[in-house]
Amino acid sequence: MESHDRITITLPCKAEYVSVARLTASGVANRAGFDIDTVEDIKVSVSEVCSRIIGVAENSSKLYVIEFGLFTDKLVVNFSSDIKKVDCIFQNDEDGLGMSIINAFMDSVEYCPENKSYMLSMTKKF
Amino acid sequence: MSSELVFREEFSENAAKVMVSGEVDIYTAQLFKEKLYHTVDKSDTDLVIDCSNLNYIDSTGLGIFVGALKKIKQKGKNIFIENVRDNIRKLFVITGLDKLFILH
Repeated sequence: MESHDRITITLPCKAEYVSVARLTASGVANRAGFDIDTVEDIKVSVSEVCSRIIGVAENSSKLYVIEFGLFTDKLVVNFSSDIKKVDCIFQNDEDGLGMSIINAFMDSVEYCPENKSYMLSMTKKF
Repeated sequence: MSSELVFREEFSENAAKVMVSGEVDIYTAQLFKEKLYHTVDKSDTDLVIDCSNLNYIDSTGLGIFVGALKKIKQKGKNIFIENVRDNIRKLFVITGLDKLFILH
């Protein structure tokens, strides 16, 4: 299915910019037409992934990319980076709280994709 | 950006009280952890955390709550979390932490 619109932001692996990702996620989800509770869920999920990327990146000068794809029936959020170490970002998630939240809020999550341009993809259907 | 964290504490005979305002995320988590653990360390009473002005918390912040609970339980005391907003209560329920903490 073709995407209507794509919104992409590139952020440094620095904690102070996660709030920018949250603001962007809220704006995109709101623009897509989700209700206010779902907008909050998407925002929280995006923030959890960003925090995890920063947590494992070890190098704050590196960048990561969040791509929001607005389809007719769903919002797809892909995260990518050229940092090798963040290929499977939740692999050693000790308490599992972040994954619990993302799994509950999103309809599907692809955590450790092989041979994909992104390192994590999550989908919320309308 | 509004990733500000405001942390206030009060002590009485029966309980220590912490008022958390703003956002607890990966940016503010270290400061939140230091302040909350410090409050737990210097108090011998139960701890009340007032979240009425807490707008946002992520898994990092929830993990800090769990760490503080472990510390205070070693003293035979407990944490009571008050005035939790719906969006934050939902996180406690999803992660199962609502069974660990006393939420009001």
